Amino acid sequence: MNTLAALVQIAGVALAPLLPGSIQALKARLQGRRGPSAVQPYRTLRRLWHKSAVDPEGTSVIYWIAPPLVAACMLATLAIVPVGGHAGPFGLGHDALVLVGLLALARFALAAAAWDTGNGFSLMAAARELMISVFGEALLVLALLLAALPAHSTDLRAMSVAAASGHIWSAPAHWCGALAFMLVILLETGRQPIDNPDTHLELTMIHEGPLLEYGGRDLAFLQWAAGARHWVMLILGAELFLPHWGGFAASLGLLLAGVTFLCGSLALIETTQAKLRILRVPALLGVGCAIALAGAGMWVGGVGT
Amino acid sequence: MTAIEHVAPRAWRETVAQALLRGERFGGAWASGREGSLAWRALLTSPQGERVISCQANERQVESIVDLVEAAGWDEREAHDLYDMAFPGHSPLRALAAHPEDPAQWMTPVTGDGVHQVAVGPIHAGVIESGHFRFHVVGERILAVDPRLFYKHRGLERAAEGSNSEQALQYAQRACGACSVSNTLAYAHAVEDALALRPDRELRVNRTVLLELERLYNHLHDIGAICAGVGFAPGSMAFAALKDRAQQVNQRAFGHRFLFGSVCVGRGGFELDASSTDSARGAIRELHADAAAAWRELEFAGSVQARLDGVGVLSHSDAQRLGAVGPAARAAGIREDARGTSPRLAYDGFTPASPTAAAGDVAARLRMRAIELESTCELLEDLLRQPLAPGTTTAGGAAATTLGVGTVESPRGATTCAVELDGARVARLHLRTGSYANWPALAHAAADNLLPDFPLINKSFELCYACVDR
Repeated sequence: MNTLAALVQIAGVALAPLLPGSIQALKARLQGRRGPSAVQPYRTLRRLWHKSAVDPEGTSVIYWIAPPLVAACMLATLAIVPVGGHAGPFGLGHDALVLVGLLALARFALAAAAWDTGNGFSLMAAARELMISVFGEALLVLALLLAALPAHSTDLRAMSVAAASGHIWSAPAHWCGALAFMLVILLETGRQPIDNPDTHLELTMIHEGPLLEYGGRDLAFLQWAAGARHWVMLILGAELFLPHWGGFAASLGLLLAGVTFLCGSLALIETTQAKLRILRVPALLGVGCAIALAGAGMWVGGVGT
Repeated sequence: MTAIEHVAPRAWRETVAQALLRGERFGGAWASGREGSLAWRALLTSPQGERVISCQANERQVESIVDLVEAAGWDEREAHDLYDMAFPGHSPLRALAAHPEDPAQWMTPVTGDGVHQVAVGPIHAGVIESGHFRFHVVGERILAVDPRLFYKHRGLERAAEGSNSEQALQYAQRACGACSVSNTLAYAHAVEDALALRPDRELRVNRTVLLELERLYNHLHDIGAICAGVGFAPGSMAFAALKDRAQQVNQRAFGHRFLFGSVCVGRGGFELDASSTDSARGAIRELHADAAAAWRELEFAGSVQARLDGVGVLSHSDAQRLGAVGPAARAAGIREDARGTSPRLAYDGFTPASPTAAAGDVAARLRMRAIELESTCELLEDLLRQPLAPGTTTAGGAAATTLGVGTVESPRGATTCAVELDGARVARLHLRTGSYANWPALAHAAADNLLPDFPLINKSFELCYACVDR
């Protein structure tokens, strides 16, 4: 089973770009446009891969090391996150806090690269990203904590197994965790109402900003990393907070259903919600933190368990 | 018909000051003439009518009136760059049309702890006209913004000089695509004003239809643009589709989506038979209902409405001081609309609308357009009841003069054209569009807002760059 899980995890490297692609395609249909097909990210990656990288004047090693570093971080998270409660022996462990650290490292690498180029828009967006991540990372940790409490462990495999039983759904803490994690997904995947992946308005960019100076293979790395971020977040959401029971095969099937459901939800949210005013974002994430803390309190207090 | 009152250079400021005291409004200023005998003229408007005052610019100098009328700021800056004029008293006289390298020569100086600049444009990430914005920000908050336009200055006004009045119309038309009717109509009115020609009823109706068709597709576009500004795709898609339907009406009836070539000097440029007006009227009636439905959807989209209130506020007094016009001014509570005072057009009994809460913010400007869309559709449905004859003009009894002024309400506000004739030739053409009047107001409204809200504020004014660049 672990070998099979490892194969699915490896397939994730290739399948990850399909997630943002299908969200975009679905969103286009919901908005009454034809839009690009779901495999558009692959075409973009192929095009970028054959182009030479851009080397802005005055940049140092920080600028060119960031894209492979970000991609490597995401590759490692793919190995850490289990599928169907199982994972291959990649030797990185499966600790939830390592995942938080890897995501933070990727974020830091990009922010440092934005600083290195000195591009106004990149810097501005990186500053926003860091400002929001102060709240976002707290929310991520709290949401993971809520999933770790029933498992008595921060091992993602144990957390997945603990969330598999039907009786977890009678615990309000689990619902609180699910809600908080949905906000984390919106934030980490850079989607509305927090960020707008389709924007052409430089002044409003958050996730897109630090990517502005990159081209060619560097940009391909970063685009793939964005896809991998979708993959990791949606898998994690489905593994830890959506129902999955039965054997490994059933879990994998439900995982697929869960990820599809989350993709549909993201497309729907992005279609029906305008972007938030930027200074409201911390407040939204703060509300998420409060909900998560309330959930933790209820779990510790034994409400519904 | 518009008489020029010549004023001694010494009395220039005094004349303007007294006019303002009497309640007259500044409507634009332009330089006229060649080397040696350059004149500086200003248009003053009041409910009773318009007059032009002029003074000789000895040694290319005229005393500045910018301390009396802030709205004259851009006119003086432009004349300094394009006519090499000096305006003692206007200090610092910052560059507008010229693009000096030294930032101190065109930017508002802003200094302080933690203040930094953000430069945007002239090349943007989207399909936007060429303009550069220099923001001075602290964190995400805008302290000041300097727009730098004139990247596509084509010298249309100069190019038009020496051509006959029909040729010069082509120059006015090419100033801007989305305002082609407003600009050409203001020009045609100006020439007819100079030649003392009066339009008959048919021509007035004919031109009113054109002007309202232009407003229809522009307002639909502008509402969609605000939706795009907050990332609300269903709204921007719905209004983009409605705008295209409005432009298809233009295409079917006039053979041009932007209504080019439909305005002529002294006569109507087209006629529409009963079947054409019927089909246009039917299409507009459907459009009217669909636009109202799309607007209702927008009113109930909470996430959109949450973005609009209190953003990009242009107060009533600032709008007045900076000479704002059009929907932007009406949204700030200034009930002025050139349509209400247009004897040359068929706006009988028109009263300017204004939103109940004229807060002057993005929400008010958006609502203003929705209100105007309503009256525009009603007016079009009314005027297209009968076939449109081309119409003509008749000599109005008064003697022809060399100067004429025409003002029409463009989708972005009052657009004024001044024409000076030398026999059959155009000696000077000056176009001051609604966008030109509103740019300083936009820059003012953006201050003290968040930088990521600027695209939204910009779109709520939705000013043309080409109209300004000319």
